[in-house]
Amino acid sequence: MTKVFVTGMGVISPLGDSVSLNRNALKEGRSAISTLDLFTTRYASLLRFGEIKIENQKLRDKLKVNEKGITRTTLLALHAFEEAIKDSGLNFSEISSFDTALIGANTVGGMCLTDELYHDANQEIKGSEYVASYDSASINMYLQEKFGIKGIINTINTACSSSANAIIYGARLIKHGYAKRAIVGGVDSLAKFTINGFNSLHILSAENCRPFDKDRNGLNLGEGAAFLILEGEAEAGNKKIYAELTGYNNSNDAYHASSLSETADGPYLAMKGALDEAGLKPTDIGFINAHGTGTENNDAVESTAMVKLFGNPPAFASTKSNIGHTLGASGAIEAIYSMLNLEHQEIYPGLNFHNSIPGTDLIPVQTFREMPLKHVMSNSFGFGGNCSSLIFSKA
Amino acid sequence: MFYIHQTSCISPQQTFSNIDIEKVNEFTDNKMYVSEPAYDGIPAGILRRMGKAVRIGVGAALPLIKNAQKIDGIVIGTANGGLEDCIKFLNQIIQYEEGTLTPTNFVQSTANAIASQISLLSANKGYNVTHVHRGLAFENALIDVDMLLKEKPQNAYLLGGVDEISVYNYNIQFLSGQYKKELISNKDLYQTNSEGSIAGEGAAMFLAGGQKEGAIAKLDGIKILHAKDEKFIQQELKSFLKEYLKEGEEIDLFLSGENGDARLNAFYSSCESLLKEKTKVARYKHMTGEHQSASAISLWIACNILQTHRLPSHMVKIENEKKEFNKILLYNTYGNMQHSFMLLSNTK
Repeated sequence: MTKVFVTGMGVISPLGDSVSLNRNALKEGRSAISTLDLFTTRYASLLRFGEIKIENQKLRDKLKVNEKGITRTTLLALHAFEEAIKDSGLNFSEISSFDTALIGANTVGGMCLTDELYHDANQEIKGSEYVASYDSASINMYLQEKFGIKGIINTINTACSSSANAIIYGARLIKHGYAKRAIVGGVDSLAKFTINGFNSLHILSAENCRPFDKDRNGLNLGEGAAFLILEGEAEAGNKKIYAELTGYNNSNDAYHASSLSETADGPYLAMKGALDEAGLKPTDIGFINAHGTGTENNDAVESTAMVKLFGNPPAFASTKSNIGHTLGASGAIEAIYSMLNLEHQEIYPGLNFHNSIPGTDLIPVQTFREMPLKHVMSNSFGFGGNCSSLIFSKA
Repeated sequence: MFYIHQTSCISPQQTFSNIDIEKVNEFTDNKMYVSEPAYDGIPAGILRRMGKAVRIGVGAALPLIKNAQKIDGIVIGTANGGLEDCIKFLNQIIQYEEGTLTPTNFVQSTANAIASQISLLSANKGYNVTHVHRGLAFENALIDVDMLLKEKPQNAYLLGGVDEISVYNYNIQFLSGQYKKELISNKDLYQTNSEGSIAGEGAAMFLAGGQKEGAIAKLDGIKILHAKDEKFIQQELKSFLKEYLKEGEEIDLFLSGENGDARLNAFYSSCESLLKEKTKVARYKHMTGEHQSASAISLWIACNILQTHRLPSHMVKIENEKKEFNKILLYNTYGNMQHSFMLLSNTK
């Protein structure tokens, strides 16, 4: 089976609308968590979020999108998609080839338009321009039509681990010969649906989230999009290679619909499985991009799993403290941050940490530093017990 | 590809227990709802909280879980998951102006709730994923399982397709032109010459493995396509058959996803025109209604025909003298953009 390499990437997050802007902000330890300026909700000034401060019309103008029925979610996805293909140097015929797959993830699709959806779902009179844009598939179908992609197109939704699973599926399509390259990633934009959903579970914080801190009190919802270009050995050739995807695993915690087990079975199995797939030992991992949402449950369980697997875990931190939890985009955004770790041999500080969680006593990285890295692990755990881990290795 | 060892299906027809697809349940309001079983295997407290998509998905999966020696992972295709819960929660958000809400509908509404509830009820900690690519959600689940079984042929996976009708998605899809404006009976679906189809729902589950022993059918090949051009689809069917049909093999039955939408007939007729006299043609959307996971139900119907060698007369479009069914070709398009071919054969 061929190896799978990352040959291009694009990201738009609250930290910036390009890979380089994101890297600069991460190096500086900048937080983009704030109250809301653009998105309207009752919680705009009550809670804190990772909002991308670019209005929809500005995104449309920049991307030259004039069609009706295009949601913010699709615009963010298109932004990251275009940066990724430009970065990889793929030409039109490669993108539109039968050998190119597009695997995108998201959790609420076009439901960022909660009010329009409410209107359309509750009457039979006249539809809004968005009637075909609410489902999760609509974003990738738009990208597929716009770029004429003819290979396998798919959308994955495993809640907060969605785009990690999109990366895994794309890589496996290449390994099994279903595709020669796969454009993989994820997106979600802020939505009343998720804000109220997470709020009803009492896991949103009115402060900047504090991953792995003893007094953490919830997550900040964020928005963003990221795409990676995966290619097999033959296609990658002598292109610039950011990393090899060497390990991956998807396991289920099988414990509860919206929380993880104290024994950390799902997170442990996902991390362990990724190591096994890569043929690596725990000591080979130089850094872990933790899921680290800042909720009571996740950080305690993830710590337990890290201790169980690594004994003395390697350097780790969570970029949720910079951008919030971008749900369906988080796995792909954090995969790109892992790529930056490897490319530049550097790790970025987790923010807002003061005291460790009693029992596991783990302390995340708190200052920027250069560091020799061969293998970086990235964790994504979601509702429904959906846990996935990825390992990227220096090629 | 892989083998199908067991199947289970909850649909608008009698497909779950005392299976009888010779007779067709009639629906006259353009919505073909499933007939739900008693769900003996689901604890009452849990059952009460489940939305319909989760209920029928879990309900269809349980008999397979009960009978299987082991299941190494759960792979579900569903375009929307629990859409009814989703919009119930959405309605609360608007009606209570984002006030204090209860999380039950929110948690049940995530598309991965079906796969995760199955893992929860069966304590399954293996691979667990939900594909949601509208009319190709199930097909992607199937490709996923094919890859899983190539990686580990000794394993067994639960593969399923589930989608529900809710008042809300019916409205949204009606507004986008997917359903007929006039009310018809599902029995007259192919006699109409108007735009749109009628809505349906269902859950089909398969126990898939890499071993032939004990299998009821083998999936020989699958192809998914995105195109609005029927000539292109026809061309692709030719190469699909060339790739998967060995010298001297014939298609005994073409199971067509024709759904009464006049705009889509050209896709089905251009595929039909490639077939030889030895191939019967049959349809099933009058039994299932149209939904994103109808192709999963069609695979269940095809497995049933391979096992029983009986093709209900109400399904027949083009008949011939043949008595046995060894190879079935399934073609479906959801909307005018998402197409799939599947080739299924008898393992006897």
